[in-house]
Amino acid sequence: MLEVALALTVTGLILFFLTNSFPLLGLKAQGIVQEITLWKATVAFWGQGFQVLSVLLLLNLIVFPLFELLALLWVMLSIHFRKSNCFATYLYRWMRQLKPWGMLEVFMLGVLVAVVKLGDLAILIVGPAFWSFAALIVCMAAATAVLDPFVVWNSLKQGRCDE
Amino acid sequence: MSKAVLLPEKDFLQCRVCNCLSKVAQEPGRYDVLYCPRCGAKMNTGKNNSIEVTWALLIAAAIMYIPANLMPVMSVYMLGSGQPDTIISGAFHLVEAGQWPLALLIFVASIVVPLLKLFALGFLLVTMQMKSSWRQRDRVLLYRMTEYIGRWSMVDVFVIAILAGLVQFGNLVRVETNAGTLSFAAVVVLTMIAAHTLDEHLIWEVTAKEDRANDEHN
Repeated sequence: MLEVALALTVTGLILFFLTNSFPLLGLKAQGIVQEITLWKATVAFWGQGFQVLSVLLLLNLIVFPLFELLALLWVMLSIHFRKSNCFATYLYRWMRQLKPWGMLEVFMLGVLVAVVKLGDLAILIVGPAFWSFAALIVCMAAATAVLDPFVVWNSLKQGRCDE
Repeated sequence: MSKAVLLPEKDFLQCRVCNCLSKVAQEPGRYDVLYCPRCGAKMNTGKNNSIEVTWALLIAAAIMYIPANLMPVMSVYMLGSGQPDTIISGAFHLVEAGQWPLALLIFVASIVVPLLKLFALGFLLVTMQMKSSWRQRDRVLLYRMTEYIGRWSMVDVFVIAILAGLVQFGNLVRVETNAGTLSFAAVVVLTMIAAHTLDEHLIWEVTAKEDRANDEHN
């Protein structure tokens, strides 16, 4: 079970970097093509004077999901190699608490709504990141489903540190 | 006939992060801070200001709900002319365009869900303060649904972010964000924090009178 979750987390990390390096959607109107990446979607508000919103989206779509993946990777590896679990316990606790603030799957719904909305306005190009993004959501959901927090807590408990 | 003996709940504390149950050696004082032995999170000793903090956040969210619905969230400029749209008028445009499933989704996620969250949290707070024993199980369910569903309201903000980032063709067509989006995001964030600060265990804290009645009954 831990091995499956570890595999899903590593896959998720690779997909996360793919999603961030390629355009998600493109729009073609009068010969001009506009493309959007995950990063460009988060900074779209910045340029229009809503810096606070931009920071919120940056946290929701990039910082927290990346933290979740990296924390899971660290936790899985430290359980696997039976290393000191002090930092892993700390990371896993914060990951569990910050989980609702990572909103990739909500963003996916937003992408679908935008696709339907723009569908009859102009020519829409579905970018490569769209597919890696869909796979990333499946991976993260599967990792969450496979991993029983109770088992993780109990495995981490063995070498916990005292605060 | 044997009778199941339940351990007295007041001797145990449950960690809200990892759900670990731990036995309390002695009654914690007003300002004692206890940490979960399993995950190290700060534990709720039951003597906190969860209700007051949640009320404050809920009232702030209710105030922000007004500009979120009255102010425009975005404007679409086509060939130089365009008009700002509120959440409701945006949904109406979708209905006019025949995209009613989409309109329904936006309507539910952006108007119904935040409103239901405000009422649900308010209702839970009032019944907690009354120490009501009315349908406790259902109220816990209501709390869990409110906590789970909250983040999905962000979908409208994300749609606006995508449109604002993608639809930028100068004078031909462009999308601009308006202040309504900021208030709407504030409603979602505030209600999410409010749902988090609310201690659902208070639902089980009923009046002392009923406790005594139950004891006599048993």
